[in-house]
Amino acid sequence: MKKEIPILLGLITGILWYGEFFIAGMFQENQKLFFSNGFKIAGVVGVAVGVYSVARQNYYKIKYNNERYYAILRVSMIFLMIFLGIASGTSSGTPFSSMFMNVYVPFQATVFSLLAFYIASAAYRSFKAKSVESAVLLIASIIVMLSKIPLGGEICSQIPVVGEWIMDSPSSAGKRAIIFGGYLGSITMMIRIFFGLERSHLSE
Amino acid sequence: MKKILEKLKKIDRRIIYLVVFLSIIIPILPGFDFLIFPVAPTKETKAIFDEIEILNEGDAVFIDWAFDPSSKAELLPMFEAFFKHCMKKKVKVFIYYATINGINLGKESVKKITATEEFSWCREGIHYINMEYVPIAADIRIFNMDVDFKGTYKKEGKIFEGVETLRDIDYMIGLSGSAYHFTHVDMQIRFNYKFGIAVTGVMGPDFVPYLQTGQLTGMANGLRGAAEYERLVSDKYEKNYYGSATKGMSSLTFSHLVIFGFVIVGNIVYYMDKRKRG
Repeated sequence: MKKEIPILLGLITGILWYGEFFIAGMFQENQKLFFSNGFKIAGVVGVAVGVYSVARQNYYKIKYNNERYYAILRVSMIFLMIFLGIASGTSSGTPFSSMFMNVYVPFQATVFSLLAFYIASAAYRSFKAKSVESAVLLIASIIVMLSKIPLGGEICSQIPVVGEWIMDSPSSAGKRAIIFGGYLGSITMMIRIFFGLERSHLSE
Repeated sequence: MKKILEKLKKIDRRIIYLVVFLSIIIPILPGFDFLIFPVAPTKETKAIFDEIEILNEGDAVFIDWAFDPSSKAELLPMFEAFFKHCMKKKVKVFIYYATINGINLGKESVKKITATEEFSWCREGIHYINMEYVPIAADIRIFNMDVDFKGTYKKEGKIFEGVETLRDIDYMIGLSGSAYHFTHVDMQIRFNYKFGIAVTGVMGPDFVPYLQTGQLTGMANGLRGAAEYERLVSDKYEKNYYGSATKGMSSLTFSHLVIFGFVIVGNIVYYMDKRKRG
């Protein structure tokens, strides 16, 4: 029964979830609301598990002096944000919002912007025309890169035209193939889960 | 020559980082406005602009905000230009946050815009509304329900008059740095809304097939898309107005040229080294 019940649940849920796309009506709306509330509950439980896990990991780091000060900072920031959120809310003008806008936002934007530096370094060291295929890729990427900046059209009026053609034809064809492949794979997987043929999600 | 080749081969990555840093920072310093290049709008960006232009006062626009601060540089200028355009057209704007990290960023941006003299008449609940967040991608399912927004969100306000479900939305735009909005494209079949998208530069190619099929009415791709939109708004309403995307384009241009230069130099070094080794 340990296996049959989850498979049966998967089948019923899948049919309901899939059917809602084609069938309208109050029953469908209610079942969607039921699942949406289920998502929220799962999310809340997930947050609790996440906070426990982070706290536990950092507790051991503090205890055994493994990057102790980073761990103290990490845990104290988590609990500070929780405290600020509970104490004064999260709306605009609150300490929580100030911390978010002035600490979290710049930090996250900075981390993402580091990509530009890594890309420049990687482009210099690895982006080489070692074969015909890589040479084609290199030329195409340079044209697309130049077509995306205003100076590209100034260098040669044909650069934006060729860049657009690369994006609209070869690149789009590849993307389309990937999308088709992805969706076919999803449908196959869905059918396999429906009928209990795929059991990897049940730890088999 | 041999020495130069050896030096170039073993160039310290910190030098590369420094050159990239300078190429980004110098063009946005005060006094370097002459480096701002005019950006010609593409047909994809203009299509979004045109969709808003044909709307009448009181029509409803839905903004699906699905990005967090990591994509702020590319997508926030687009949001600001789009929101200003909507307010100028006096259409009702519903802003929904699909990511929890975007809520404060979005609300602060709206607050900043509505604090200016030009948009001081905008009132939340009448002209625009910040709708809240539903976790774990449940949002699209919520919106697809035939129950009303008011019932779902327990929001009161004049803005909801005549707008009860997704079917009453005249135009929807999604802002994201991921493939999140594929679902919204699929759901058009059922709800028949017009849908445009503003995505980070890296995600643009993923949505081109949908543009070609007409499922997306338009696409603002990355910082350039935002700069194009700023220019379209500027040409129509505010002459000589440049927003943060237009200013950022000069940084983008020079950093692209620097990376382009590194690729060329890297290949020259590779071939010289290869020839030397036989």
